[in-house]
Amino acid sequence: MNNLILKVCTKVLFTPIILFGLYVQFHGDFGPGGGFQAGVIVAAAFILYAMVFGVDKCKIIMPSKLNFFLLVLGAFLYGFVGVVGLILGEPYLSYDLLGSNKQSGQHIGILLVEFGVGLTVCNVMICLFYSFANFKFGRNKND
Amino acid sequence: MITEIIINAFLVSFMLVIALFIVNTRKVIFTILLAGTYSLVAALMFVSLDAVDVAFTEASVGAGISTILFLAALSFLPKEEVQESFNKNNIFALSICLLIGGLLIWASYDLPMVGNENNPVHQHLVSDFIEGSKNHIGIPNVVTAILASYRGYDTFGETIVIYTAGLAVFILLYNRTLKETNKSVKNEISKK
Repeated sequence: MNNLILKVCTKVLFTPIILFGLYVQFHGDFGPGGGFQAGVIVAAAFILYAMVFGVDKCKIIMPSKLNFFLLVLGAFLYGFVGVVGLILGEPYLSYDLLGSNKQSGQHIGILLVEFGVGLTVCNVMICLFYSFANFKFGRNKND
Repeated sequence: MITEIIINAFLVSFMLVIALFIVNTRKVIFTILLAGTYSLVAALMFVSLDAVDVAFTEASVGAGISTILFLAALSFLPKEEVQESFNKNNIFALSICLLIGGLLIWASYDLPMVGNENNPVHQHLVSDFIEGSKNHIGIPNVVTAILASYRGYDTFGETIVIYTAGLAVFILLYNRTLKETNKSVKNEISKK
């Protein structure tokens, strides 16, 4: 796409979208929001970039390998927080002993778990978009 | 109370109009954009029901990202649907739809009123959750407390479902391109 207005707007909007995503992510304890919504918002920033500048440019800032690494890391982080609780002698996925007292433990646990959800959702969305874009590219190349 | 009824009636009729337009249109891109609009109106509906978290999810996932992914998938589809000719099966399907819809509407008369504190939903566990999220967990948003702590297993399952779905789509599309590349390579070799 060779539209100057779109390119400039994307460059201006890219950072605020990610900032808003992070706000939704870490403010989920106090207002509406959380991992699912934040992941989708951050992914929207990357998809917007890929749509305007092309998937190849987007793969410079978010390479496929990094995408997959973060995709797995998110789900792993969620499971790992549960295992830490298990090691500390609690039932799986209860966060009471993660902090100095029960409340701070719950805060830390919820923050980490939501971050894991956000990472996975964001990278699944980017991965889906990459798959669609690559699929098209592969077919056109062979035609 | 009366403003609430007016707003709800407006939103529901708006959704109905959009749904009729979706059924009516033959252009795929209009269908996708109208489905996004439908999700946005549904999000407004959730806001009027005080389910802000669900509304947020609906707006970002339903109206935002799924529209974009559908648009990305649109490039593999024909631009217009084929006009189907009318046949007897349509009447059968329509009567089944009307029957099920009528039964659901009939059943909805037995549901308790939305937001009434004496509803069975609010009697069982919810009071524990609301109290616990204040005293035990100490965060103001009860939805996050339930989602991440009290029902952590469910959310873990959801995350794994999303993870698996993403990987499955990647593998399906990746194999497709790989096979076609192999085929074209084979074709070139056989031509030589």
